[in-house]
Amino acid sequence: MTPADVVFLFLGAVTLGSAVLVVTTRQLVHAALWLVVTFGALAASYLLLTAEFVAWVQVLIYVGAVVVLLLFGIMLTRAPIGRSEGLDSANRPVAIAVAAATAALLVTVVVAGFREAYVELGDPPAGTSGQMGASIFRTWVLPFEVLSLLLLAALIGAIVLSRREIQPPGESSDERPTERPTGPGRG
Amino acid sequence: MNSQLLAQSAVQAPHIEYGQLAPMLIVFGLAIAGVLVEAFVPRRARSAVHAPLTLVGLAAAFVATVLQAGTHHVAAEGAVGVDGPTLFIQGTIIALAFVSSLLIAERRPDTSAFVSDAASVPGTQEERESLVAGDVQTEVYPLTMFAVGGMLLFPAANDLLTMFVALEVLSLPLYVLCGLARRRRLLSQEAAVKYFLLGAFSSAFFLYGIAMVYGFAGSIRLSEIALAVSHSGGNETLLLLGLALLGMGLLFKLGAVPFHSWKPDVYQGAPTPITALMGSCTVVAAFGALLRVLYVGFGGMQWDWRPFMWGIAILTMVIGAIVAITQADVKRMLAYSSIAHAGFVLTGVIASSSQGLSSTLFYLVAYGFTTVGAFAIVTLVRDAAGEANHLSRWAGLGRRSPLVAGIFAFFLLAFAGIPLTSGFTGKFAVFAAAVAGGATPLVIVGVLSSAVAAFFYVRVIVVMFFSDPNPDGPTVAAPSLLTGAAVAVGVAVTLVLGVLPQPALDLAANAAAGLFVR
Amino acid sequence: MHIVYPAVVAALLFSVGVYGVLARRNAILVLMSVELMLNAVNLNLVAFDVWLGDALRGGQVLTLFVIVIAAAEVGLGLAIVLLVFRNRQTVQIDALRDLADRDAEPAERPEQVSTEIS
Repeated sequence: MTPADVVFLFLGAVTLGSAVLVVTTRQLVHAALWLVVTFGALAASYLLLTAEFVAWVQVLIYVGAVVVLLLFGIMLTRAPIGRSEGLDSANRPVAIAVAAATAALLVTVVVAGFREAYVELGDPPAGTSGQMGASIFRTWVLPFEVLSLLLLAALIGAIVLSRREIQPPGESSDERPTERPTGPGRG
Repeated sequence: MNSQLLAQSAVQAPHIEYGQLAPMLIVFGLAIAGVLVEAFVPRRARSAVHAPLTLVGLAAAFVATVLQAGTHHVAAEGAVGVDGPTLFIQGTIIALAFVSSLLIAERRPDTSAFVSDAASVPGTQEERESLVAGDVQTEVYPLTMFAVGGMLLFPAANDLLTMFVALEVLSLPLYVLCGLARRRRLLSQEAAVKYFLLGAFSSAFFLYGIAMVYGFAGSIRLSEIALAVSHSGGNETLLLLGLALLGMGLLFKLGAVPFHSWKPDVYQGAPTPITALMGSCTVVAAFGALLRVLYVGFGGMQWDWRPFMWGIAILTMVIGAIVAITQADVKRMLAYSSIAHAGFVLTGVIASSSQGLSSTLFYLVAYGFTTVGAFAIVTLVRDAAGEANHLSRWAGLGRRSPLVAGIFAFFLLAFAGIPLTSGFTGKFAVFAAAVAGGATPLVIVGVLSSAVAAFFYVRVIVVMFFSDPNPDGPTVAAPSLLTGAAVAVGVAVTLVLGVLPQPALDLAANAAAGLFVR
Repeated sequence: MHIVYPAVVAALLFSVGVYGVLARRNAILVLMSVELMLNAVNLNLVAFDVWLGDALRGGQVLTLFVIVIAAAEVGLGLAIVLLVFRNRQTVQIDALRDLADRDAEPAERPEQVSTEIS
C-alpha cells in the first residue's frame, strides 16, 4: 500500500460518510452542507489523481454554483430551519434493498475487472489545463459547441418557467402566489 | 509533452465538415434565430414571425439532408458519423418535426395548446389577464428547435461523449415543454416534474454505463469500443455491465418496459403538440442511437446482448398491449400503444442485419407519421374545458362528425396493422426480418400481442361509431389550415406506405445497405 | 495506486445516490441524490482516464461536460420544482399523483376549474 493509497482511502471514507449523511439527515440545510463536504473530498481525490483542472472545475461549479443553487431552492420552498418530518418516503426498506443490490453488483464487477490495475501517479500529470484545452478545442470541439447551446436552452427554459411578464404599472394585481392561505407548513 | 509542443498542437485548427453537418447546423441556427426573435420582435408579432421561420428552416434542413445522400464519412474530428441510416433517420426526424411544428404553430387564442404565462399561478388574476390578452409563451419555438437539434445529433453521435451531450440537449427543452400546457396546468407541471426526475435518474445510469465501457475499452469512440470488444477476453462482465447500464438509458428514452413508467404520465400531461413531437421524433432519435450503439459499438458481442433484448422486446410488446386495454384516456391509450410499438420495432433491431435495419427504418417512418396524425385529431375534439381526452366523451363522435372520427379510425387501424395501411407493411417488414434472423418465437409473441392491441383499437372505433352521442359531448373544432395540413400529411403517408410501399421500402433498403460508418 | 479503490468508492457512492433517489420524498433532496450519482460517475471517469493515460483525455473531458450539464440540469430542475411549489405549496414528490392509471377522469381541483374559464 503506497502513501497515495492511504490518502485516497481516507478521502474516500470522507466522501462516502458525508454522502450517507446527505441522504439520511433530517435537516434540509444540513444535507446541502454535507454535500459540500462530499464534493470537496472528491475534488481533493481528483488532485491526488493529478487531474488538477477537473479538480478546480469541481470546486468552482459544484461547490460554488450547484450547492448555492440548491440552497436557494431550499430557501424558496420555505423549508423550516431545524428538523423536518416526512423527508423520507414509505418505501425506505425497498430503497435500502435496491441500493444494497446495486452496491453488491457494482463492487463485485469492478473488483473483478480492475484487480490488476495499478497506476503510477504524478509524472507526468494527467490533466493540466493546457492538455485539457488542447484536447477540448481539437478532438471534442463539436460536443463542446453543442454544450454551449445546451446551456442557452436551459437558460431560456428556466426563464420561461420563472419570469412573470412585466405588466404596465397599475394593471398588475397585488396577489402574490406564495401568500395564498394554503400555508407553507407542508413544504 | 512540453509546453512548446503543446502550443503547436493547440494551434492546429480542428477540421469540421460543415456541409455534412448542415442539417443540424441549420436546426440549431433556427433555434438561435428564434431566441433573437424573442429578444427583438414585439410581443404581438412574434408568433407571426416564428411559425414561417421554423417551417421554412426545417424545409431547408430537409433539403440539406437529402443533398448529403450517399455520404459515408466520419465528420467533425470523429464526433459524428454521416452515413445512409443516419441520414434516413435525420430526414425522418426533420419531416416529423415539420408536421409537429404545424400543430405547435396552431395559435388561435381559443385553441392554442400552450400556456399564456408559464410562471403565473393557475386561477389568479394575472393568469386571467394574460389569457384574456391572448398571450402565448412563444419561447416554445426556440425550445422545440433545440430539442430537434439534439435529436438530429443523437443518432449521429459516433462517440459516447457526443451521444450524452445530444441526449441532454434533446431532453432538457422537452422537460420544460411538457410543463407548458394551457389547460389542466397542474397535470402538465406534474408531468414535467416526473419526466425531469426520472430523466435525470436514467441519465446517471447511462453515464455509469459509459464509465464502465470506457474502463474496459480505453476509449469512448464507438469504433474503438468495437475493436476492444472483438479482442476481448476474460474481462467481459465489466463490458456487459457497461452495456446494460448504457442500454437502460437508451431504452428509457424510447419507453421500453420496464423503463416505461414515465411515458403514459408524460404523454397525458404534456401539451398535445409536444406529445406528438415526443411520440414521433424522440422515439425515432432514440432508436437511431440504440441501433448505432448496438450495431457499431457492440456488434461483435451480439450473442451476449440478444437474449436481453429478446426479453425486453417481449415484455414491451405484451405489457404495452395488455395495459392499453384498461385505459380510459385517449392520450394514455396512445402512450401505451406507443410502448407496444416500441416492442415491435425492437424485433427489427434484434435481427441485427441489413434487412433488420431497413425494416426498422421503414417502421419508424410509418409509425411516426401515423402518430402525429392521431395526436392532431386529439387536438380537435374539444369541449368547454379544452381537449376532451376521456374516452367516454368520444362516444358517438362518428355520428356527430363522421369525417374526423373516420380519419381517427383509419389511424387506429394503421396502429393495429390492418392491410392497406402503413402499419401492416411496417409490421410485415420487421417480422420478416426477425424470422430471417432466426427469431421466430419473438415474431409469434409479436403477432399475438398485435391481436391483443387490435382489440383495444377496435374498441375505440366501436365507441365512436356504435354508441349514442352524449348530449353535452365535445364538439369538433373546425380544423384550421395548419392542423388540417398535419392530419392530411398523416393520412397521406399512412395510405401511401400501405398501398404503394415499394419506393419507400427501396429507399430504406438503400439507406441501410451500407450499414453504419465506423 | 490501485485503481480498484476509486472504482469501489465510486460504486458505493453511486449506490448511496440510488438509495437517496428512491427513499427521499422532497424533490430537492432527490436532486441532491442525483448529483451524488453523477459525482460517482465522474470519479470513475477521472480514475480510468489517469490509469489509461488516454491521449484524447476522453474521460476527463467527459467529466467536465458532466459537471457543466449537471449545473444546467440543477438550474432547470429547480425552476420546475419551484413552479410546482408556487402552485401546490409542496415539493413532496409523492403528493404528485394526479396522473395515474385509473378509470375516472382526473379529479378537477378547485384551482383548475377556475383556470378553465378563458
